[in-house]
Amino acid sequence: MTEIVEKAGKGVLVIGGGIAGIQSALDLANSGVQVYLIERGSTLGGRMAQLDKTFPTNDCSMCILSPKLVAAARHPKIKLLTMSELIELDGEAGDFQAKVLKVPRSIDESKCVGCGLCIDNCPVMLAPQIDDTVMEPQVQDKEYLDELLGKNSNFANPIVQVMLAVNDKYRYLPKDVLEYLSFKMEMPLSEIYRLATFYKSFSLEMRGTYHVKICMGTACHVRGARRILDRVRTVVDKFGDGIFSIETVNCLGACALGPIIVVNEEVHGHVTNDDVDKTLTGLGNAESTGAEGGVEVSGGGDE
Amino acid sequence: MKFDKPADLEAYRKTIVDEKDPNRSIITICGGTGCIASKCGELIDAFKAELANQGLEDSVSLRITGCHGFCEKGPLVVIYPERIFYPLAKAKDVPRMVTETVIGKKPIEELLYVDPGTGEKIIYEYDVPFYKKQNRIVFANNVEIDPRNIDDYIGLGGYSALAKALTMTPEAVIEEVTRSGIKGRGGAGFPTGIKWGFARKAAGEQKYLICNADEGDPGAYMDRSVLEGNPHSVIEGMIIGAFAIGASEGLAYVRSEYPLAVDNLDIAIDQARESGLLGDNILGSGFNFQLKIYRGAGAFVCGEETALIASIEGKPGEPRQRPPFPAESGLWGCPTNINNVETWANIPHIIAKGADWYASIGTEDSKGSKIFSLVGKINNVGLVEVPIGTPLRTVIFDIGGGIPNGRKFKAVQTGGPSGGCIPEQHLDVPIDYKDLTALGSIMGSGGIIVMDEDTCMVDVAKYFIGFTLDESCGKCTSCREGNARMLEILEDITEGRGTMESLELLDELSTYIKDISLCGLGKTAPNPVLTTLRYFRDEYEAHIKDHACPARVCTELIWFEIDPETCTGCTLCARKCPVDAINGEKKMTHVVDQDICTRCGTCYQVCRFNAVQVLTGGGK
Repeated sequence: MTEIVEKAGKGVLVIGGGIAGIQSALDLANSGVQVYLIERGSTLGGRMAQLDKTFPTNDCSMCILSPKLVAAARHPKIKLLTMSELIELDGEAGDFQAKVLKVPRSIDESKCVGCGLCIDNCPVMLAPQIDDTVMEPQVQDKEYLDELLGKNSNFANPIVQVMLAVNDKYRYLPKDVLEYLSFKMEMPLSEIYRLATFYKSFSLEMRGTYHVKICMGTACHVRGARRILDRVRTVVDKFGDGIFSIETVNCLGACALGPIIVVNEEVHGHVTNDDVDKTLTGLGNAESTGAEGGVEVSGGGDE
Repeated sequence: MKFDKPADLEAYRKTIVDEKDPNRSIITICGGTGCIASKCGELIDAFKAELANQGLEDSVSLRITGCHGFCEKGPLVVIYPERIFYPLAKAKDVPRMVTETVIGKKPIEELLYVDPGTGEKIIYEYDVPFYKKQNRIVFANNVEIDPRNIDDYIGLGGYSALAKALTMTPEAVIEEVTRSGIKGRGGAGFPTGIKWGFARKAAGEQKYLICNADEGDPGAYMDRSVLEGNPHSVIEGMIIGAFAIGASEGLAYVRSEYPLAVDNLDIAIDQARESGLLGDNILGSGFNFQLKIYRGAGAFVCGEETALIASIEGKPGEPRQRPPFPAESGLWGCPTNINNVETWANIPHIIAKGADWYASIGTEDSKGSKIFSLVGKINNVGLVEVPIGTPLRTVIFDIGGGIPNGRKFKAVQTGGPSGGCIPEQHLDVPIDYKDLTALGSIMGSGGIIVMDEDTCMVDVAKYFIGFTLDESCGKCTSCREGNARMLEILEDITEGRGTMESLELLDELSTYIKDISLCGLGKTAPNPVLTTLRYFRDEYEAHIKDHACPARVCTELIWFEIDPETCTGCTLCARKCPVDAINGEKKMTHVVDQDICTRCGTCYQVCRFNAVQVLTGGGK
């Protein structure tokens, strides 16, 4: 270990090379101040580099971060001290004395071009130095999920099949179940959510006691499915949450009966606006009065 | 039973055939999705109860089959051995059917099918024009088979093509399929034998075989009906394909909207495995092939082969650049061969009856038959299997029975959202990959949607662009953004804000979307717009110049009025109106308040005196 003594003069020491540290360092350096940016890890970037998107604009985080990384590394007024830690700080505002411990990198930084060849050829593999011990998430139907995972283990990647079964069982994808699947299958939760939003069979919201599917296939379209959909919406809006949910599907393959609506699993063919009124209003009224009268309503919509 | 060698299978088949009594009464009920929706369940229960009631359970069989194809007239009942046909069967008529037809062997006059063309009553199923004019190969056995009983399939020669293929070399099987001239039935029409050859030659120990049953085209349901009604034919085709290519594992990717197809295929796979026709050492040949079902999760784009593979790998179904084609690098990077359900179901017929027989059907460059789903504004909605090259007019008017309610034919849409609309003057064109492409449409997976004069072609184009936009995976900007802009323009036109420049812009956008998009979804998305612009430009112009929707569909351009001459003041429309926009006393002429009316069309639907008129154009 070598001791480097630097006379900082009018300098500022910034601790931590995350986005906040980098931005502070850049702002200070741009105002002409000499900056020392110390970071415990081997690279700058911190948490933000691990994120996909940032709140609230959903901007890509690397798109924001990487120009700043380059600017910080190139700035003549910023001195980077990576793999370094502050071990002592004396003095008062305007006159500090800092002692920084720099761990050896064992690589000549002036010559390294970052080609990565040494990494590929190194015979020793070390686990990444991040705390990745994740607690097993709590979930209501653990046995069911474990059994489901076991049943689908003959697929190389069973995630979509498992999610389909979960969606069928709960009528949506509960958050705790997805977290449990993410843990068990060692798959990032973000990827699971990406699947959940990409495929139409999945729902992140609990479906109603009566799930109404309206076929919007071409055969139903030319027979007036659009008007049926409008009418279903109008009728359903009269009732409270949890009773009805609506889904449009692109063809149920029962084109002879078009236009078609399916309420839970029951198919209603050749429907007119009037049929929609009668069927749905009837179901909705029965459900609302049942709930008001304190009668337990069947189905998982009210747990 | 488990068959250890082909001779065991043949011996078993012989016992099935020998034991079959040709004079036994069998009540066949269609149990396809269409007939289930038409309440065939009640009918089945009624037959069971009635047979028990009359003590006929042992002498009369009940056979629940897959789809017969004549969905318009469902639920369908066919009584064997005479094959007496009862369409639109009702549970209340079941006791009579059993007493008079099953026992008495006589048809019940008033329940018979009436030919809408001639008014003649038809007794036997095979005399019904809808069936008579078809040439069914893949679909032929649907009526004869209980899909959950492997014996029915074996009894009709099932798995004999597999036994034959196992005695051939894989190269000879591929040669036979190539010579038959069959092209992929999923839509693109690539020669199947050549595709198999690529997968055979590709380097790699592990190879995969996939059956594409992600039938997404709206208005097309032939794959579902084959899987539901005759799942063993698809399995047999896949085993033969696996043997030819050298694949040891197969997957059937089935759309999750088709639960019955999943169930029936699942049962069939188990039966085939237990019989030694699937799994390890198939029929003692030493050839191994495992097959399982993978349920799709509802994404139209997964019908595209690279998107389908991504989906099986547990990723969002986004297509990728080809090459490399799946034959070289497909599922998990291994050589993979993907064919459509209907293609697989054709394979046993080709191997059993020979390439020359198959090549004798169809046209010069497209061989065999194709199942089309004939839907929309047509009398006989259903599945139609005809030789490739049959003219559209034959399918629509001779088999389909023409347009209902005396309306006039306007256009036919083929090939789903990737296809185009074909007008009357081109109806004599043979249905063929090449000829339909020349008209700006495609054959696609076989959806034929018939439109009459009450269909607005601008609205149809808008519908398809809306569909494509909804189903676009969003990977290519041209497809994601281009279709969104097309939809905006089409919405403007249908809501009366369009200009003549919009039409040029649509044309220009279409070219870009076609040229730039990666997969078939985007490349073909503008077809419905381009063909309607080509053949129905006058309708676009009417919307733009006159603010009129000639078909009276586009709600922003129409309004409802009640004819004082015909209105009887029955108050029905006023009572049914959801927004109370109709005023009028009993026995007095009613009036629609245009400011309140939402143009939902309920009054038009319910009026029994045709007093409600739909008006358009010229401003109001």
